[in-house]
Amino acid sequence: MRRTWWIFLSALLIGAVALLPCAWAASQPQSGGTLVYGAGADPDSLDPANTDSNPGEAVGRMMNNFLVRFDAKLNLLPDLATKWTQSKDGMTWTFTLRKGVKFHDGTPFNAEVVKYNFERFLGSEKPLKASLHDPIIKSVEVVDEYTVKFNLKVPFAFFLNNLAHSATAMVSPAAHKKWGKDLTLHPVGTGPFKFVEWVRGDRVVLERNDEYYEGKPRLDKIIVRTVREDSARVLGLEAGDYDLIVRIPPEEVGRLMREGRVRVYAEQSNRALWVKFNVTKKPFDDIRVRQALNYAVDKESIVRNIYQGLAAVIPTLVGPLNNGYAPVKGYPYDPAKAKQLLAEAGYPTGFKTNLFTPKGRYLKDFELAQAVQQQLSAVGVEAALETSDWGSYLAALRKPPAENKADMHLLGWSPSTAEARWGIYPISACDQLYPRGSNLGFYCNKALDDLIGKAVASTTLKARDQNLREAQELLVKDPAAIYLLATKETVGMSLKLHGVINSPLELVYVDKDTWKDR
Amino acid sequence: MLSYILHRILMLVPVLFGVTLVSFLLLHMVPGDPAEILAGQEATKEAVDRIRAEYGLDQPLAVQFVRFVWNAVRGDLGISIQSRHPVGELLFQRLRFTLQLSLASILVASAMGLVAGIISSTRQYSIFDNASMLGALFGISMPIFWLGLLLILIFAVRLHWLPSGGTGTLRHFILPAIALGSASAAVIARMTRASMLEVTRQDYIRTARATGYRERVVIFRHALKNAMIPVLTVFGLEFGYMLGGAVLTETVFSLPGIGRLLVEGIFARDYPVVQGAMILVATTFVLVNLLTDVAYAFFDPRIRYE
Repeated sequence: MRRTWWIFLSALLIGAVALLPCAWAASQPQSGGTLVYGAGADPDSLDPANTDSNPGEAVGRMMNNFLVRFDAKLNLLPDLATKWTQSKDGMTWTFTLRKGVKFHDGTPFNAEVVKYNFERFLGSEKPLKASLHDPIIKSVEVVDEYTVKFNLKVPFAFFLNNLAHSATAMVSPAAHKKWGKDLTLHPVGTGPFKFVEWVRGDRVVLERNDEYYEGKPRLDKIIVRTVREDSARVLGLEAGDYDLIVRIPPEEVGRLMREGRVRVYAEQSNRALWVKFNVTKKPFDDIRVRQALNYAVDKESIVRNIYQGLAAVIPTLVGPLNNGYAPVKGYPYDPAKAKQLLAEAGYPTGFKTNLFTPKGRYLKDFELAQAVQQQLSAVGVEAALETSDWGSYLAALRKPPAENKADMHLLGWSPSTAEARWGIYPISACDQLYPRGSNLGFYCNKALDDLIGKAVASTTLKARDQNLREAQELLVKDPAAIYLLATKETVGMSLKLHGVINSPLELVYVDKDTWKDR
Repeated sequence: MLSYILHRILMLVPVLFGVTLVSFLLLHMVPGDPAEILAGQEATKEAVDRIRAEYGLDQPLAVQFVRFVWNAVRGDLGISIQSRHPVGELLFQRLRFTLQLSLASILVASAMGLVAGIISSTRQYSIFDNASMLGALFGISMPIFWLGLLLILIFAVRLHWLPSGGTGTLRHFILPAIALGSASAAVIARMTRASMLEVTRQDYIRTARATGYRERVVIFRHALKNAMIPVLTVFGLEFGYMLGGAVLTETVFSLPGIGRLLVEGIFARDYPVVQGAMILVATTFVLVNLLTDVAYAFFDPRIRYE
């Protein structure tokens, strides 16, 4: 008996001593290793100016740099520009550039490169994201080799946000001249990782850029695998085939966290989901009906029961992490008030309508639409659900009022410049009515446009954010949509991986400091 | 024989033309626009129109069709609207994975199917017969999706024997081949059993046994070869379907095969990709059918093609 005790004790001691170096090593960043990243879809494009997908932008952020960039909390930090000044009238911005930066193909980075990159947006090529800069920038001047000046067409308070947009990554002019639109298949940036290959439907491979300006990245190689099926991604992570995966189904999150064999993070994203009214259709032209429907939906219950907490209720169209988001008071759940407002509007027994929704585009989108449908039906509003694949859905919504069959539609909107204006203006301004912009509910309120206009023209952050706050208050008073929630992004990773960036822009990527235990 | 094969290959031309025309019309009848999907929610109509013009989608349908056929005849299938990858290159890559997966699966299917079928027929109503036919029923009824996830859970997550998905080594094909092959194995097993039971009741088998041949020789040399014709038909069809892409298996195991290319192409309304893939699938299906017909003649020399 006694002997067994001794053996047990000494085994424990030996074990503890043996584990010590491991524990010590685990806390020390190490270099080397390959990261296998299970993404949900292929990139659409690896040419930053032409991408409009999260996988494309996430891969882009590992290969590229920007003049200024977002950190993980959406603060703006210097990147390829070290400092900048704005003129008093807000019409010119001057940037001092970082010296000694080289593209992966050896091209040196300087003011000429910046000019070339922006003239691509302003010129005849018209990449997909031309509309980001074209309405705002008049010209770009090279002051000296490392100083560049932007002359704007209008004062624009969100200029730095635009520069940090995924599309504004600096690409090698030499590569662009050589490949033109096929730059997407041969991307060349300045970032911590260099492009190796893209086998569509299977993988994108990147390798370490030893000459990265911030120092040599820790990881040797990154393989971004396309793993479409949610459960296959989760199982692959558990099997150790992937070090990092995105989009874990909410039902799985609890189990994975409990079991503790992998790490699971949920990070608030800035994607807002809402049900937009088509205000050209009766009865949605009546503000009381729009308010009533906002009172009729129990957002808290939806977040709890459908999203298992992986979402946050939002008061307007704007998600919480955007610059300029104001925590204004939204609509509480109050079906009695909803019925009263409907009665005042002349619909004491409710009415029949429809609700268009995508299925599988956003986290739990169809389930969300079903819940909204049920809760509206409780106040007498019977909405028939219409769903189709994404392509048909876009085609159905992107129609002028006369041909548009959607009374209400569910969409998600994630401002890729991380500011509140982008959460409101493109989808709710009078001059953005489809086909001019993406305002598919045809909502138009001149007072709102004025406030946004004032925010844009502000030259101080305080004035900008005050105008945005008033705009959000106005959106509550005169609702453009049933305001619902902002989703959280869940990321799963191996216990060995450290320093992954899960940006609220729904972009999961790694940088030079990301490391893996050997 | 040779002229027969040549004739069948020539028949490919009208078949391909028909497939191209029908898939072209169907694709354009579905609502949705590749440019709109590519440009995304934030895009202005102007940006969408620019993409439409770039890929010639603003031209009348007839012009688009003629242009596609004219280029295709000269070997140019165009580029993917979604990613700008050349369609020919995409098809070639995908065909490799699909071929590997199909060969592995048909190997699994025929090994399991033939063995189970032959033993079942020689020991009719035995425990083995009942068990393997019950197994076959399971094989046919089990959704591939579910079976695939189950295999991953057991062999990748719990036992760590095999990778859960993706590509790279031949080991990556083992689980998908079992998942995809098991349904075909079940069909082949049932067909083999039925066909063998019928053949072994024939007079010449009785004669062979009466002559004193050993049972093994009777079964394998006399019965099996003649029982193979209907099995071969099933074999050819199953193989043809596999080559046409196995979307579910490819999705569960993250394999970039023809099936996913086609389905994802349809969702993105990526017209050139879908048409290219349709042409490829039709061609392989016709060729596999042809091979099956030629194989008939091998198993039954009475069959002649003029």
